[in-house]
Amino acid sequence: MVKKPTFSQEIANMLYASHGNPLSSCIQCGTCAGTCPVVHYMDHTPRKLIGLINSDYKDEVLASNTYWFCASCYHCTVRCPSGIDIAEMMYALKRYSMWKNRYREGLIGPVFSETFVKTIVKSGRSYEPVLAPTYLFSFGIREFVQEAVTATNMMIKGRLPVLPPRIKRLENFKQMVGRIIPIGEVR
Amino acid sequence: MDSRKRLLIIDDDPDFVEGIKSILEKADYEVEAAYNPKDGFQALQTRPYDLLLLDIMMGRGAEGVMLARKIRKDPRLRDIPTLIITGIREQIAFLFPGQPVHPHFLPVDELIEKPVEPKMLLEKVSTLLHLAEERKA
Repeated sequence: MVKKPTFSQEIANMLYASHGNPLSSCIQCGTCAGTCPVVHYMDHTPRKLIGLINSDYKDEVLASNTYWFCASCYHCTVRCPSGIDIAEMMYALKRYSMWKNRYREGLIGPVFSETFVKTIVKSGRSYEPVLAPTYLFSFGIREFVQEAVTATNMMIKGRLPVLPPRIKRLENFKQMVGRIIPIGEVR
Repeated sequence: MDSRKRLLIIDDDPDFVEGIKSILEKADYEVEAAYNPKDGFQALQTRPYDLLLLDIMMGRGAEGVMLARKIRKDPRLRDIPTLIITGIREQIAFLFPGQPVHPHFLPVDELIEKPVEPKMLLEKVSTLLHLAEERKA
């Protein structure tokens, strides 16, 4: 009989289909933290986060912002000497915290992901003018204005669509999504 | 031989499994649990079960559905009565608010949504087991 899994086993279960080695093979060398371009903004480095997961510090892990700041550049995954898929682990933690509604308040990540997926499902393409407000208001005034100026310039040059783009055969695309995620109208 | 019905739960949420398990064990079922689709499928292949309780959101996403499709293709497992218990609407409600979950991933299934009412759970379990026995007879 299988015993009730610990937090580290729960995360291992989330990652059961991952191609990387299990988190328990981490040797705490810190290559991931040294490689990470956004480690500066994280409150635990990836190395520390793996250590916390392996020692079952569930609350500390879920309260950290580390996995929401992950830019998914996969540099840690490429360089990890133990062959752990660290970026995939970050995704697993994002899913875990969103499914359980346990992520930290005031983060941009969850709202951003939600809006992104929504726009994709609705029109088949990402549309920046809808996406931007999810994070824009957390900036200072100066950055906000700067961002607005850049966006306007891009629109004038035609690099940013004014109207939301639509793909061909949107209905087929929606049906495909419906096959993967079994929620929505029954077809 | 033990005549108790043997149930398998495939769900990645240990707390939920504990709860469901205690309800079902009180009602005199033999309950086993697997915490990811891979272990679950292996368990299904190694031992016969009378009923399967399946979660949808596991691993990389809606993997319960993928597992259900895999079971449907397997001629030995196709007829196992399956009760799909899902919190998918709560977990990704933002995507399609208010819309129903499609039922029937398997020819022989039933779908209930979390949170689960113990009474309803037991009712559905016994109905499914009963139907399966009738089909066999």
